[in-house]
Amino acid sequence: MPDPTFLFAQSLSGLTAAMFLFLIASGLSLIFGVLGVLNFAHGSFYMLGAYVAYQLVQVLGRDPAAFWWAALGAACAIAVLGGLVERLLLRHLYAKDVLYQLLFTYALILVLSDAAKVVWGTGQLSIARPPELAGATRVLGTLVPHYELFVLLLGPAIALGFWLLLHRTRAGRFVRAAALDREMLGALGVNVSRLYTSVFVLGSFLAGLGGALIAPAKAIVPGMDVEIIVEAFIVVVIGGLGSFWGTFLGAVIYGQVLSFGILIFPRFSIFSVFALMAVVLILRPWGLLGRPLKT
Amino acid sequence: MQRRMFLILLPLLALALAGPPAALAQKPIRVGFPMPLSGPAALYGDPALKGAQLFVEELNAKGGVLGRKLELLPRDSKANPDEAVRVSRELILKENVDFLVGTLTSAEGPAVSVVAKENKVVFIAPIPKTDQLTAKDKLHPYVFRVAATTTMEGRSIAEIVAKWGVKRIATISFDYAYGQDVTRAFVEHIKKIKPGVEIVDQQWPKLGEADYRPFINAQMAKKPDAVFSSIWGGHFVTFAKQAKPLGYFDAIKYNFIGAGEIAAPETTKAMGAEYPVGIWGNTYDAFYWDAAPAAHHDYTARLARFLKDDAPSSWSIQTYIAMQFLTAAITKAGGTDGDKVAKALLGLSIDTPHGKMTIRAKDHQADRGQLYGKTVKDPKYPFAIMKPLTYVDPAKFMD
Repeated sequence: MPDPTFLFAQSLSGLTAAMFLFLIASGLSLIFGVLGVLNFAHGSFYMLGAYVAYQLVQVLGRDPAAFWWAALGAACAIAVLGGLVERLLLRHLYAKDVLYQLLFTYALILVLSDAAKVVWGTGQLSIARPPELAGATRVLGTLVPHYELFVLLLGPAIALGFWLLLHRTRAGRFVRAAALDREMLGALGVNVSRLYTSVFVLGSFLAGLGGALIAPAKAIVPGMDVEIIVEAFIVVVIGGLGSFWGTFLGAVIYGQVLSFGILIFPRFSIFSVFALMAVVLILRPWGLLGRPLKT
Repeated sequence: MQRRMFLILLPLLALALAGPPAALAQKPIRVGFPMPLSGPAALYGDPALKGAQLFVEELNAKGGVLGRKLELLPRDSKANPDEAVRVSRELILKENVDFLVGTLTSAEGPAVSVVAKENKVVFIAPIPKTDQLTAKDKLHPYVFRVAATTTMEGRSIAEIVAKWGVKRIATISFDYAYGQDVTRAFVEHIKKIKPGVEIVDQQWPKLGEADYRPFINAQMAKKPDAVFSSIWGGHFVTFAKQAKPLGYFDAIKYNFIGAGEIAAPETTKAMGAEYPVGIWGNTYDAFYWDAAPAAHHDYTARLARFLKDDAPSSWSIQTYIAMQFLTAAITKAGGTDGDKVAKALLGLSIDTPHGKMTIRAKDHQADRGQLYGKTVKDPKYPFAIMKPLTYVDPAKFMD
């Protein structure tokens, strides 16, 4: 029986990873749920969020709140970028075959990653943890970094905020309606195209925010876009594409399976996660909390 | 009509006939350069290209080699062995390159080596470390390496750790060729030279792991005194950022040594104040190497000018040395004939910015050591440096 301190530390690290993933995957899932578009470039938005945050931290320099302004600024910048992409480009593909949308978002990954390379080069960049969260506290015999604690709380907070937005506001009702029947919603006089843009902007905001917030815990390097999109996909596949709580659940399961999987299969850490995904796909192809696709 | 055509063609024909000898003498020597120039590996591929470009520019300014200029033909290998093979073939068959210098990863190197063998083109690998490249069954007359090998790197580190007086050692490495090979070399060598040590834990995250915390926790639970790691380059930035706040480095009293150039100026610069200062690492080059051979100061100054960077890259030196070897061999062979140049490279010694270096005849491997040291803060720089910096000569334990 392993030491309980260790088990606690292990589950905590799994939860932290889960909250980061939830930030990214929730935006991906939201966009799919409403627009029906599988946005491969979501990972690119996340990467750009990290790069823009880095740039803003450089510009703001010694400002004690530099990191927080940078994170917010990066999320907003990516939201604007997402809005432009949806308005100017993606919009023209809604009527076309799904394949075109996939190709388009895939092309976007390549374009954005090269663009990032032109601007920021290929070097590894790093943002320091914000000074007020640089320390760590000993909880049950294990050191818990404050920044991780912050992320642990932020995840559920965003989830709750999201839920309130979707279920307690007028706009949220429209969003849910659009996910179910967009023609009917349009016929009822709602500006569906503006709604789509708003959802895409919100999803991109979350991606940018996720990128900015993960930067203090990771190196910012080319390639982080593709890396995250794979993980985010696993999360939404497990949880159910388009399902909000499913994404949350998927992220939590992913984190725990990865954390404890390495104890069982030390040399195949990623194996347990993929195995889980395969099982979910066989038993419930629509994910744990997803809805079967209407045909 | 035909006659007129003939009249026009005649002088051209005469020119063509008279031309070749003179033109040939002027024709540059073409060197194909497959290297990852896009994607994450471009982080090393870009400065590697710069090192070769610096050498070529300087050599051509001095009139080239044997009266001929060198021409570098860089191609993006995308860090992918299939792509590296494709561009190498294209360089040989379509561009008629005389030599190949390049590749970065341990997957690309051996793949391109096969192409070099098929086409009898001399190939010098500046960076791939896998022992496979020059292993007995893979060695052929045209492949050479100026990088360190996994054996040399793992053993160099074992020599250092043996002096620490630690008993319980853990390892953490990526689960793929480089990580496995260098870790095995380290473990075998330290057990041999320090029989009392015990390997208490081995963690194997996947290459490019984004979240090391579960591995870090699991390792700390085994309470090692010291850790050997081969989480390299940019991956180490992520690893250290997650390990430091968990108290990982404190728990092992900074008895942490990393293969894979984690103390390269690029990495310490990227992390700035967040670098876990006090750990040990290595690098191919360091612009702040005070005790270096005189040629190194000069090289660093030229590279800094070329890159417009006061703290120039540590990766450029590898391709610079590869090009030095190639040029010296061409001079010695008196031409660009592949077989003659390959023979000339055997046992060839040259003066590099890091001192004298030799390509051994028996395994085509240069006695390339690396710089090792404990990282410290130095008021002169806003990032960690290694001090004292020791060049570990691998000659004693290459076999």
